[in-house]
Amino acid sequence: MTPRTTRRLLTAAGLAAFFTLPLVVTDRYFLHILVMTGIFAILTSSWNLLTGYAGQLNLGHAAFYGIGAYTSAILATRLGINPWAGLLAGGLLAAAAGFLLGIPSLRLSGPYLAITTIGFAEILRLVAMNWVDLTRGSLGLYGIPPLTPIPITSNVSIEFTSERNFLYVLLIVLLLTVWAIRRMIRSGFGVTLKALRDDEVGAESIGVDTARFKLTVFTISAFFAGVAGALFAHYQRLISPDTLSLGETFAILTMTMLGGLGTLTGPILGAVILTFFSEWLRFVEDMVKLDVRMVIYGLLLIVTIRFMREGVVGLLVKLPWWPKTLGKGGSDGR
Amino acid sequence: MDSLFLQQVVNGLIIGSVYSLIAIGLTMIFGVMRISNFAHGDYAMVGAYVAVFVMMWLPGPLGWVNALLAAAVIVAVAGVVSELLIFRPLLDRRTDIDMIMVSIGLFILLENLAQFFFEARPRMLADPFGGNTVDLGLVSTSQLRLFCLAFSCVAIAGLQVFLNRSKTGIAIRATSQNSRAARLMGIDINRIYTLTFGLGSAMAGIGGVLYGTLFAVYPTMGAIPTLKAFVVTILGGMGNIRGAIFGGFILGVAETLGGSYLAMEYKNAIGFVIIILVLLIRPQGLFGQREGV
Amino acid sequence: MADEILRTDGLTKYFGGLCAVGDVSFALSDGEIVGLIGPNGAGKTTLVNLMSGAFPPSSGTIHYNGRSVGGFKAHRLNKMGIARTFQVVRIFKTLTVLENIQASLIDRRRYGPWRLALTSLYKRAYSLDADADARQEAERLLDFVGLTDYRDELAENLPYAYTKRLEIARALATRPRLLLLDEPSAGLNPRELDDQIGIIRRINGQGVAILIIEHVMKVIMSISHRLIVLHYGKKIAEGAPEAVYRDPRVVEAYLGGDAHVAH
Ligand SMILES: Nc1ncnc2c1ncn2[C@@H]1O[C@H](COP(=O)(O)OP(=O)(O)OP(=O)(O)O)[C@@H](O)[C@H]1O
Ligand SMILES: [Mg+2]
Repeated sequence: MTPRTTRRLLTAAGLAAFFTLPLVVTDRYFLHILVMTGIFAILTSSWNLLTGYAGQLNLGHAAFYGIGAYTSAILATRLGINPWAGLLAGGLLAAAAGFLLGIPSLRLSGPYLAITTIGFAEILRLVAMNWVDLTRGSLGLYGIPPLTPIPITSNVSIEFTSERNFLYVLLIVLLLTVWAIRRMIRSGFGVTLKALRDDEVGAESIGVDTARFKLTVFTISAFFAGVAGALFAHYQRLISPDTLSLGETFAILTMTMLGGLGTLTGPILGAVILTFFSEWLRFVEDMVKLDVRMVIYGLLLIVTIRFMREGVVGLLVKLPWWPKTLGKGGSDGR
Repeated sequence: MDSLFLQQVVNGLIIGSVYSLIAIGLTMIFGVMRISNFAHGDYAMVGAYVAVFVMMWLPGPLGWVNALLAAAVIVAVAGVVSELLIFRPLLDRRTDIDMIMVSIGLFILLENLAQFFFEARPRMLADPFGGNTVDLGLVSTSQLRLFCLAFSCVAIAGLQVFLNRSKTGIAIRATSQNSRAARLMGIDINRIYTLTFGLGSAMAGIGGVLYGTLFAVYPTMGAIPTLKAFVVTILGGMGNIRGAIFGGFILGVAETLGGSYLAMEYKNAIGFVIIILVLLIRPQGLFGQREGV
Repeated sequence: MADEILRTDGLTKYFGGLCAVGDVSFALSDGEIVGLIGPNGAGKTTLVNLMSGAFPPSSGTIHYNGRSVGGFKAHRLNKMGIARTFQVVRIFKTLTVLENIQASLIDRRRYGPWRLALTSLYKRAYSLDADADARQEAERLLDFVGLTDYRDELAENLPYAYTKRLEIARALATRPRLLLLDEPSAGLNPRELDDQIGIIRRINGQGVAILIIEHVMKVIMSISHRLIVLHYGKKIAEGAPEAVYRDPRVVEAYLGGDAHVAH
């Protein structure tokens, strides 16, 4: 088998498993975990586009997520706007915020950018906490409607109150996100992002308007995170300022680093591994009555960076049967 | 100028002195090793817990002073260990993303280990001066707060003298200015790294005791000093010690004034607004020299 | 002069109080090779940085194709036809050799970031797998600088001498009219030097004007049509290589560095 066919087969098998999973799984709790995995996979993939591929260290990704969630929730509860439109609105408003946060990145990098992005998310969280008229403060917004049913015939329609149907919506959005990011990364756009990540001055010298590229990638990355937030709002139907917290961002970045920063499958793999692992830990914690989840996150982050910089994907690529995308240097659309 | 205003300025200077103390450590470590340590505030947290335990055994002013010393020593050791185990192996990584991320990992780890070992309930460090207040005419404050201010100032001054007068201190500053040249001059860079990290962490440890004395000691208390220290450091120019000293006082005063005259809820956001402005207008910090391209 | 492509007038750059380039005026003509020499710290790299838009001049003007371009950003000047290499190489380390070239081949005059990102969704925009022309062009450039064997190697794994060539190929891929080379031969062995000279001559043969900074006199004397000498940021001599080489002021500038000149 050529690597290409292996890859296609793997993709096909993955997709098939992807879409039949919600059918075979009946346990609602398990479906819920799958939903959370999907939401995190969108978040990690979009964060990875910005930080992994374009090298812009963003520690405020949860802010985009939160903006998407609050936008769609407020539009639906206050103005009665259709949640489907809210998904788009949430994404677009987050994208606008992404553009804004991109502006400091034109002059700042590394720790400066990191702290600015944390500050951005913290300020937004404080606004969400304190602008009680709009957000109900720390109580959070509740009574958010689910995604509106899609009518099939005059008396049959698809509801999205069940975990299973929602999961299908989520899987489609996730698939679209990953597909779009993959297309972008493998095009001249992606090559340019990686070039500017590796050497900004070098990129400028071959005609890359690095400022515009950074703004663009901030905007795109934020858009996907915003849509994920909006989806979450209509799924959970209750959101609070915690969605914007630093903890969320840390989860996103631990997942991505563990899976493999700057790879296409890494972020998804990381989201799957850590979401399931956390749930499993919950059982263990209930037994031993200790909260070790975050301790393990911290350790994982340190160990991954120290000993397996390429993440789990970096290990998988070493397996002989794992499909390689490029010649010698290549690994997973790096 | 009314007395409320003056009172807030004094309060701001007191908390600002603690910010300076913690930020100095951060800025030194950044200056010498180019490490942005997001776990820095957790060294402060560790220091505060050291104080909690020391003062359980030995209450009163004597206990407090011992707590400060013990915190400095223990946190210095913790800092050196984390430098050797976690940070140094990453010094030659291609991007600074690795270094920042690993420090975030350490931050998550320390914060949650603390939650694991210590109860979440905030502990107060007993006031070694029995709550005596001092009346200074227009303003009044507690003996304890005055002592905090005095102690940070002494620690800061001591560090300054060390860095400016002693041979080792000068070597640290030389490395901070140009590590390659320093190496060529025969300075043992690795020793300087260890020393700087130890010293910088010790500053955070002492700062943590003072911070815990002014507020409270709890497992997740490290996040705020970390962020404040970054704000101060950026305000003063990263790697710039004098900048960090002034930056700390400026932030302290800006926060207390902003908190009392503008909006209490947003007090913690004031620092961020300041740095975002500073970064956009004067990225090298208020006291930094502009670097060439 | 009809075929003049670049001219500087009183070009000056200060770093704080240090005058790195002071009042430098010269012109470059289409298709010529000009050597830029001078002792260490003379301001050669700074001059190239100014000409390529890395930073704006403190004063003075730069005209390119008759248009005042002082203060233009580097990416803009590159789109106008000025390409450069760097004294300390700035290749894209995590990209393969081929991708390094590919990054340059994107027609940035037509494709901004949004257009590039959006077209990638329905078209394989500038993906080497799909774009046969781009692929051919990239292969040709790799062959031109002799890196075909390394095409799928990560750039960070290239031997040093080849990173310099990769930078040249990358610059060429943007189809420049003027190429600025900052010490392209530093650290090369004699055989590699000969290759390098050949490459530079062939680039020039395709009608590209070249400004080359070089300490290796063998290279500079054999390929330059003209020399410009900088010393402490000032232009102290300009003219035919042989004449400049014997100019007492130039010898003076390199004084104590006679060995250097004789290199
Ligand atoms: N970005 C900068 N900031 C401050 N000073 C600079 C900067 N770039 C160059 N300089 C100074 O300007 C002067 C000229 O430097 P430049 O690099 O242009 O010299 P050069 O002729 O290229 O030397 P070399 O042969 O060593 O490459 C030097 O004194 C250098 O220290
Ligand atoms: Mg130079």
